Amino acid sequence: MHFLSAESASRLITLLASLMLVLQLLIVVQRMLITNIRLFALQSLLLAAIATVVAVAYGAWHVLVIAVLTLAGKVVFLPWLLTRLVRRIKIEQEITPWVNMPASMLICGALTVLSSVVARPFTSLSRLGSNTLAVAIALLLTGFFLMIIRRKALTQVLALLTTENGVMLAAIALTTYGIPLVVEIGIFLDVIVVVMVLGILVFRIRESFDSMDVSKLNELKW
Amino acid sequence: MIADLIPLLAQTALLLFLAPLLSGLIKKGKARLQNRRGAPVWQPYLDLAKFLRKDMVISEHASWIFRATPYVLFLTALSAGLIVPLVTVQTPLGLFGGALALVGLLALGRFFLALGGLDPGSAFGGMGSSREMTIAALAEPAMMLAIFTVATTAGSTNLSEIVRAGQGSGWTLFQPSHALAFAAMFIVLLAETGRVPVDNPATHLELTMIHEAMMLEYSGRYLALMEWSAAIKQFVLMALLANLFFPVGLAASATPAALAAGLLFLAAKLLLLAGTVVLIEFTNAKLRLFRVPDLLSVAFMLATLGLVSTFLFL
Repeated sequence: MHFLSAESASRLITLLASLMLVLQLLIVVQRMLITNIRLFALQSLLLAAIATVVAVAYGAWHVLVIAVLTLAGKVVFLPWLLTRLVRRIKIEQEITPWVNMPASMLICGALTVLSSVVARPFTSLSRLGSNTLAVAIALLLTGFFLMIIRRKALTQVLALLTTENGVMLAAIALTTYGIPLVVEIGIFLDVIVVVMVLGILVFRIRESFDSMDVSKLNELKW
Repeated sequence: MIADLIPLLAQTALLLFLAPLLSGLIKKGKARLQNRRGAPVWQPYLDLAKFLRKDMVISEHASWIFRATPYVLFLTALSAGLIVPLVTVQTPLGLFGGALALVGLLALGRFFLALGGLDPGSAFGGMGSSREMTIAALAEPAMMLAIFTVATTAGSTNLSEIVRAGQGSGWTLFQPSHALAFAAMFIVLLAETGRVPVDNPATHLELTMIHEAMMLEYSGRYLALMEWSAAIKQFVLMALLANLFFPVGLAASATPAALAAGLLFLAAKLLLLAGTVVLIEFTNAKLRLFRVPDLLSVAFMLATLGLVSTFLFL
């Protein structure tokens, strides 16, 4: 039944989680929208891989459902949808955030260190990857940070999705046995909400503006 | 004495004769992906042979620095290569220095390369030198931090010791800090070897060139030396990346079987790495020069996080 020992599974999970962090930092610095979407898909793939490892190593087979849902929803469907959207509304490819790249890298680094400090007290009780919680909190914080510094609606949605990846990582790696069903419903709700929000935004933008810059939404009255 | 010389000579020969093959393979792979047939993989050897036969044209404004640069560059690249474990865990010049000596030697070579670009007083050379130094100033700290991350885990900055520690512990090397450091080191590799997101190695005709701009005034034998040392530097950095983070298969003893296995593993790792580099070159456009610091700041931050996380997480 156990293909992986608990020790190596824990290491594998930690490694995959830190690769998710690497991808998150690449998303922060990547300016091209399509590449951003691809990086997000890759990050979700790693999340699905972590879920699979958890399922196989600990015999928690219901986590496999999460892995499959993540694979279908976040690795295949959402990136496809977003890519199609970007192509169809022909928006500018390049992202222009409020904060320049080196500064945002430094802030993200500080956030990551902060999250590992915050997660420190919990690492003693975790049986899984010792610093997976730290990575999850880091994904959460940098995702929020991304949402703040990016102007365009689509890129903000992408930031929200990476934040959600962080939440999922925390859920899978730490609390998984308790609430599988809630987590699954969470995924589905998220996906649906994101798709709806995107649809509305794209519609609005097509009607009112030539650009995706959300700061222009302030100018509705003019 | 003689027995000590054999590994030294063997590794020197390996560096000298395999480095052009590696750049030939990368060029060929790139050409195939672009639906071109491409030059044969041994083309770099033919180029070197041709350059060595040709006469040199040297600017009358050039000083001794211009003439010394190719030799300094060649020797620093070669001696840097003798510090890095390629096939065996033990390196010929391992006692001479470790990671710091490696970075220092590469910096020395780069310093002379930049001077050589400035010396003849051509506009392109100066531009290339200033760009090279800008990028190096950002790439070097990232590289050092990435190596230090691995060194901290292994408890030594000697590259042989790091590799030995990695071989002994199996899974321990696949740590989150190493994943971060590896990503940082990979970006540094692209920057240091002048690969596409940072520099385009295939052009001599662009205003954006960096490495080629510094070599523009060189011809004949000097050009051969500089091309060769660029190939050696690329080989050394790729081997360093492969063996530092994945020290699988390096020969611990000097038996023929272990050496053959080490050579095979080295070839496999380098091919894999070269394939990744080719894919990245193929799928990415060259970054604007002012965007390069963004990319390198990621490398720096990843390496910093890697180093910090060895203390925070363990």
